Amino acid sequence: MMHMDFVGKRMIFITISLILVAASVISIFTKGFNFGVEFLGGSEIILRVESSTFVEADVRRIFNEISSDFSSARVTRVRSVGDPEGVTKFSVTVTKTFDVTEKDALQSAVEKKLSDSKVKGQVVSFNETGGSAAEEIRRLTWRAILITLIAILVYITLRFNFVFGIGATLALVHDVVITLGFFSFFSYELNVPAVAALLTLIGYSLNNTIVVYDRIRENMKKYKGKEIAATVNNSINQVFTRTINTSLTTFIVVFVLLLFAGNAIKPFAFGMTVGSVVGTYSSIYIASPMVIRWVKIR
Amino acid sequence: MRADRVRLIVVIAVIFAAFLALLWPSKGQTYKGLAAIFQRIPLGLDIKGGARLEYRVDVEQGVESPSEVVDNVWTVLRNRLDAAGYTEATVRKAFRENNSFIVIEIPAATDTTKAEKLLGSTGVMYFGQVLEESQVDPQTDPTLKDLARVKKAEWLPAREGKIWYLVRQEIMLVKDLKLISPQIVTASPVPETRAGRFGYKVTFELASKDAEMFKKITQQLVVPEGSIGSAAAREKRLAIVLDNVVQFAGYVISVIPDGKAEITGNFSIEEAKQLAAILRSGALPVRLEKVSAGWVAPLLGSDIVRTSLLAGVVGLIIVFIYMIVFYGIQGVIADIALLYNTFLLLGVLAATRSILTLPGIAGIVFTIGTTVDGNIIIAERIKEELKAGKSVKAAIAAGFGRSFITLFDANLTTIIAGLALYYFGTGTVKGFATTLIIGVLGSFFVNIVLSRLLTDAFSSLIRKPAVEAKGAQQ
Repeated sequence: MMHMDFVGKRMIFITISLILVAASVISIFTKGFNFGVEFLGGSEIILRVESSTFVEADVRRIFNEISSDFSSARVTRVRSVGDPEGVTKFSVTVTKTFDVTEKDALQSAVEKKLSDSKVKGQVVSFNETGGSAAEEIRRLTWRAILITLIAILVYITLRFNFVFGIGATLALVHDVVITLGFFSFFSYELNVPAVAALLTLIGYSLNNTIVVYDRIRENMKKYKGKEIAATVNNSINQVFTRTINTSLTTFIVVFVLLLFAGNAIKPFAFGMTVGSVVGTYSSIYIASPMVIRWVKIR
Repeated sequence: MRADRVRLIVVIAVIFAAFLALLWPSKGQTYKGLAAIFQRIPLGLDIKGGARLEYRVDVEQGVESPSEVVDNVWTVLRNRLDAAGYTEATVRKAFRENNSFIVIEIPAATDTTKAEKLLGSTGVMYFGQVLEESQVDPQTDPTLKDLARVKKAEWLPAREGKIWYLVRQEIMLVKDLKLISPQIVTASPVPETRAGRFGYKVTFELASKDAEMFKKITQQLVVPEGSIGSAAAREKRLAIVLDNVVQFAGYVISVIPDGKAEITGNFSIEEAKQLAAILRSGALPVRLEKVSAGWVAPLLGSDIVRTSLLAGVVGLIIVFIYMIVFYGIQGVIADIALLYNTFLLLGVLAATRSILTLPGIAGIVFTIGTTVDGNIIIAERIKEELKAGKSVKAAIAAGFGRSFITLFDANLTTIIAGLALYYFGTGTVKGFATTLIIGVLGSFFVNIVLSRLLTDAFSSLIRKPAVEAKGAQQ
């Protein structure tokens, strides 16, 4: 069986992590996030097309050809009571707002594109719209996050000890901050599905960390008096096959999703992909070595 | 293997219950074949779409801050939907050509009239003064119409029965003594306890900002209990008007100084409940005018939902194959466990009528992850125990015994995080937390009970391949 030295070079990895966290924080505060329309609001364009074969993808294509502002636009079909047969209406939402001249320009551009594709249609209304999900994150305040972290810390302290609790929560914060940093740096849209990915990451990161910790706890009891660094390294090695297999299976699912899923789900798949890598990395190189340092100090 | 017999019974009973919840016949069967599994799980707006209602907010000219009015309307509607259990519905503000609109989208609703009912009244509520009542339709009687003009009041129909009330907003014609869109904090039916009365009464409490006005109104309208029914008293009745319909008209028997009032009338429990609901539903500050009612397709786009679903299935199949290639029979067991837990989770969602949105599906993906992980942990542990020289039977027992502790801590930590999300989250975050918690509990059950049962059953297949595989690696 391979025996790898995970903890020997821990300072290198801790440094890499610190750099990544710092870069993420800088990106988050300078570049900020590309928030989705459900949080920020923006414009809603209602398009009426006299065709029953015209689908969302066609509308998305037309708008994308007009301007790159629409690359993350939400396109969905709407229908009102009393609409005649053979008429399809689409709602197109983007975070951008338009002034009067821009509206007119867009309207004629869309109608021209439609007539190019030999379909009759027009923009029937142009709304400024508020976000529908702004409330969803409003309550996820710092207080909520802090209480969540404390609850986790308390549980791990009870089942393991305080040092492990600190290690797991720091690894969790590390994972979430870096994933958020990726969102900011690559300008991936932070929408409701992306928030779901971040929430999933919380579970994933904790789960990974606890499995390694559980083995460290077992080995600390079994080999009392053995040097802590060696115990930790042995433990990581013992669960390494599991770590790789679990991470790979998760990674496969979310990576296939990232490759093939449509626009609105891309941020979700992106968050899950980044999260599955960062979550695995941190359980091996951050959460566990952190325990060594602290146990030594004690 | 007595323990395994118990496990088998539990496993079958649980999955039977899950399928019962999933396949219980319901109205409007639209799915056939495999998709019938999703029949009873209400899907969210992002995946399935729903009813879409658009209202114009009728803000009067010269209102100081129209945006505040629209915000108030938004809050009232949001609260009504939340109270009806539709936390996954969306309410958003929209503006065009100097008009404000509210767009409401309600998931799992195909009937727009029902959706409108769910939203409740779109009219204004106020407390008014009853001046007169009539058993004939005032529209057909010119003298009654004249009376309304003279008294500067309006004939309004009662909620039930052929009675019309002459109601004036301004109480006793005192300037600005009127209470339109009162904010009612609580209203509930309470059993009547006073002697000589029976049935139920309704208690309600006004927000402190409206309590002072209500005090002044009741000071004007209060009548001694002895004179109830007299001509003078009949002109001092208080009416609760919603949507230009008199919901209730009665006497004020004492001044209400603190906004805490009760309405007595020997109501039946049904009447009391209804009146309380009317009061509680919260009044809109302005009238809403329906612009359109209709439906919205999946918000993510039907094509996107379709390709993503396909991508998910492809990913899953790769995982299935990976597990079998890497773990042999234990991989097959892991795959069975995974399918089992997925159906179990869907069954619970169907039974609780939780609305499944994309974040909810993220919860399912996570559940799949934990179920696979649990099986990997167990399989790896059994391998280790075998390597340590234990017999297959002993290795399985030790492997499951030790993995129990690992999984217990890993899953419980996740559940704690899930509970925190459920508590602090709203809407879709709550939806995610729900599937996460149910799914993780399910995966724990599946790993400990189902996987154990199957591993015991197929233990004869484990020995050789596992040991040989180890030998080959070393």
